[in-house]
Amino acid sequence: MAIDIDRYAHIESTLKRWDVRFKIASLGVFILAVALLDTLPMAFAALGAAIVALRAAKLPREFVRNGVQFVMVFLVPFLLILPFSYPGESPHRFLGMEFAYEGLRLGLLIVVKALAIVLTSYAIFGTSRFDVSMIALQRLKCPTVFVQMLLFTYRYIFVFLAELRRMEVAMKARGFVAKGNMRTLKVFGDFIGTLLVRSFERTERIYKAMLSKGYQGEFHTLVEFHSQPRDYQKTALAIGTAVVLLALDNAGWFHRAELGWM
Amino acid sequence: MHVADGVLSGPVWGAGFAAAAALAAVTLRKVDMEDIPKISVVTSVFFVASLIHFPVGPSSLHLILNGLVGVVLGIRAFPAILLGIVLQAILFGHGGVSVIGVNTVMMGVGALCAYWVWLQRKRFNFPKRDVAFGAIAGAVAIIVSGFILAMALYTTGEALWAMAGMVFIYHIPLMLIEGAVAGACVGFLLRVKPEVLSDTQPRLRSEPTHE
Repeated sequence: MAIDIDRYAHIESTLKRWDVRFKIASLGVFILAVALLDTLPMAFAALGAAIVALRAAKLPREFVRNGVQFVMVFLVPFLLILPFSYPGESPHRFLGMEFAYEGLRLGLLIVVKALAIVLTSYAIFGTSRFDVSMIALQRLKCPTVFVQMLLFTYRYIFVFLAELRRMEVAMKARGFVAKGNMRTLKVFGDFIGTLLVRSFERTERIYKAMLSKGYQGEFHTLVEFHSQPRDYQKTALAIGTAVVLLALDNAGWFHRAELGWM
Repeated sequence: MHVADGVLSGPVWGAGFAAAAALAAVTLRKVDMEDIPKISVVTSVFFVASLIHFPVGPSSLHLILNGLVGVVLGIRAFPAILLGIVLQAILFGHGGVSVIGVNTVMMGVGALCAYWVWLQRKRFNFPKRDVAFGAIAGAVAIIVSGFILAMALYTTGEALWAMAGMVFIYHIPLMLIEGAVAGACVGFLLRVKPEVLSDTQPRLRSEPTHE
């Protein structure tokens, strides 16, 4: 399980050089536009655009493939089930069951859109350090309290992950094996309780240490952002692509993958 | 248990963002500076704990624990869940940026319901009452989340109705597992450090007796 999306953020690329504030805002708009698409040709076009963005990010393929594989586990059921569960009569049959091409089209639409969005989020968050992305969110008027908590949570995830691994080793040393039974559930409950108690005691110490260093509700950061003409060009390109995709999608030239409510 | 990108219709995920923002605004109003490290650290514990896998037959499922978040953090569970969902959408690289709103409402409302259940325990009086209510809170959180998820799929379109039903049924075994873990965890905390739970008084230490 990888929880370091910014593992390759040091790689120089067109996307890394993009001002992080502009990158998040414009690719964020692109993601929301993709989520609104209803036609297959435009969904494929969006996937194409996302692949171009990912190429510009120069992230290692293996790294991106891992995440994409995981998403597919969630999405393949849609492809397998929707053609058979699509409402209404269908003249086609497959393996003795009613097979609706509309359902297949809808399943494909869902998968293609999801892939485009996942690849775009790699392009956003894979190309700058996580903390820099968060500071950029704050500059984009995301509430300071919330950004503070995000940074904090992020920092302590790794602390407790290490704690979790240590406790796992201790359990294994005493011969514990997770099985599908009541006893395992109880052990998990105690395990989580132990983590919570330790964390609670820790928060008190952390808070006092922070106060003694003059904490007043905000972290200070050395990160600064400077925008250049190139940043505006890249932003115009990303938002332009989003607008064109949505406009063509709504122009009515392409057959919609029906969802039943249109 | 979460919705992936690309599944829901625009109005549904849009409504998810609106509802999540409204609930976050209301629940964040009660957060003061002292709470910032506390909420964050507890959120990271739950984030890590939800990586634990429980074996079921040939496969396994991971714990969700939103009920426990409600029992521990009370109203502040909602911003905690929002934090967890945002971090998940960004850090794992599994996508989910467009459905942050829907997923937060789904898990967060489940956590708030669990907190409500937990508060009701004081009306009753029987042995192991708190453990029982911890377990019920854990189970209620999951079934409420499952219901909201099914409704999100249902309102997206007729084509997803069959999916919505399957998703809801999947939550029934999940509910039992989560209830058992939540009950055990509440029992442990009551013995060890009850003030971790919301709506509890720190246990009075009995004076050491010298005989």
